Amino acid sequence: MSQQVATAPPRVPARPRAWFQSGRFLLFLAGLLVIYAYGWQVTKINLPELVKGATFVRPFVRDLVRPDVLARHVEIQEAQVAVSIDPAVQPETLPLPTGPVVEPESRVTPVGSQLTVRGRGFQPNASGRLFWLNPIGNPQQVALIRTDAAGAFTETITVPDAFRGPEAGPRGAQQRILVRVETPVGPLRPSKTARIVFEKIIETVFLALMGTTIAVLAAVPLSFLGARNLMARNPVGTTIYYVTRTFFNIMRSIEPLILAIVFTVWVGLGPFAGVLALGLHSIAALGKLYSEQIESIDPGPIEAITATGASPLQVVRYAVVPQIVPPFIAFTIYRWDTNVRMSTVIGFVGGGGVGFVLQQYINLLQYRQAATAVWAITLVVAAMDYLSAVVREKVV
Amino acid sequence: MKGAAIKIEHLVKTFPDGTRALRDISFEVAPGEFLVIIGLSGSGKSTLMRCINRMIEPTSGKIYVDGVDITTLSQEEMRRLRRSMGMIFQQFNLVKRSSVLTNVLSGRLGYLRPTWALMNYFPRTEMNRALGNLARVGIPEKARTRADQLSGGQQQRVGIARALMQEPTLILADEPVASLDPATSHSVLRYVEELSKKDGITVLCSLHFLSLARRYGTRIIALKAGEVVFDGLPADIDERRFREIYGEDAVEVEIA
Repeated sequence: MSQQVATAPPRVPARPRAWFQSGRFLLFLAGLLVIYAYGWQVTKINLPELVKGATFVRPFVRDLVRPDVLARHVEIQEAQVAVSIDPAVQPETLPLPTGPVVEPESRVTPVGSQLTVRGRGFQPNASGRLFWLNPIGNPQQVALIRTDAAGAFTETITVPDAFRGPEAGPRGAQQRILVRVETPVGPLRPSKTARIVFEKIIETVFLALMGTTIAVLAAVPLSFLGARNLMARNPVGTTIYYVTRTFFNIMRSIEPLILAIVFTVWVGLGPFAGVLALGLHSIAALGKLYSEQIESIDPGPIEAITATGASPLQVVRYAVVPQIVPPFIAFTIYRWDTNVRMSTVIGFVGGGGVGFVLQQYINLLQYRQAATAVWAITLVVAAMDYLSAVVREKVV
Repeated sequence: MKGAAIKIEHLVKTFPDGTRALRDISFEVAPGEFLVIIGLSGSGKSTLMRCINRMIEPTSGKIYVDGVDITTLSQEEMRRLRRSMGMIFQQFNLVKRSSVLTNVLSGRLGYLRPTWALMNYFPRTEMNRALGNLARVGIPEKARTRADQLSGGQQQRVGIARALMQEPTLILADEPVASLDPATSHSVLRYVEELSKKDGITVLCSLHFLSLARRYGTRIIALKAGEVVFDGLPADIDERRFREIYGEDAVEVEIA
């Protein structure tokens, strides 16, 4: 070995290659390229779609800025007229209308023909909708109308090929035209949506509160079992410590969303399932934070107060409690705040709260109503965030 | 108030991991003495202090406080005896989130009814005693301040006030000024010295700086590897003694 070193020719110090020329760097670059190329493929990244699809999202974005919060009471005026689409069949005979009147050009008209419909006696300058009713009363909107200053309108429609009902006989040809004019009257009030969303957001806050409370009650005693400095003194204690910590880690890694699905199956749809899901997840989350706090307490004050001749209970009260209670409170409030945020998502799988109605509005394409829920969630989460920060600052 | 008399005979402490912190230590302390214990880190100063109030259980040997052998006392008897032994720590060991007043009052817990104290109720006489002791260490205006808002010197003075709440006959000061700057060290040690001179409290105080030991001690004991290597008057520690205690390479550092 030493001989080899002695006989080796003196190395000519080569000029070091720049870092970007080194083989290792190029290899690294090639590896990155492969990883990102594959990532691009599997995640189906499609940038043109961002531009092409913009038209679809426009109504949603537009409605997001005008949520359904305030509304006037709506007065509904309706008028019907019976028609027939078969010359061989007479239209039904309806009782004479007392309010507004609808009059088609002809009461017997084949499918696909143009029909002029007149109306009078409606609210002036109001907008309404014209429906075609099939023999079993299912409405099909065929036109939007607008009344003039006298409360009358004229609209030409194409007679639709409506479903004739179970009996294809003469009754199937007897159909109707319905005009509905809705006029907002009276002062602005919270809309029905606003009232529902308000009620549900309160439910959400309390759902998070109950879940957090359950979690605190279980996590406080468990956290002592999960604190290494207290438990890892003998084999039994060490075992309990590891079991507790493993429980915390496993429970923490199960998303509350999945727990919520399990609990909706178990106790049915509704906020109770959400409370249980958030509670179980929070036991683990809080338990871990609490145990770490217990592990990090300063033994100095414990020694000092023991040395004054205080009893063990007094030592806990004056040296341990002041060190763990304020951080416990801070963690708990932070968790409540997190749970309010999580409970909106839990509502999507039936765990109650505002998420439940938000999902319904989205599914029914009621974007203005959905916008109300989205804004309410944003406001409440931001407020909780701020409040919890203020309280944590005060406590710790 | 009269200081406690201490007599230590053949004290040995061996830790479970085999460390022999104290090997056959014997000495006596007269009431009202200000005994300074010096020695390198790890020489057994802290262990010796904590054996005297049995925060650490001695392995063998006898410790007499006012003629009572404390090594044979039960836990409950020891707890009662600890009430008359104040302890001051290098890191102050205050409850940082509690107020200064609560920290001082906690020195009195051993004398109070347990239920009252658990509800954080302190009788008016104890409140006044605490405020009086805070005034004595020169920080009466800090009573309502959170302990961690104070400077190091002020925190140590709270530590002294806490010890005073016990109406001690003995004060164990474990490197009380090791975390403080020189000027603050003097101010803190002067309060301790006053307790010894005015109230006649016996003081055992471990110090790092020989200059401080000479200035405040009425007697000095030096420990080296768990044994007493010097026991005498401050003036008797000369260059040769110093090297014996601290090793051949040691250079004495003066502190103003």
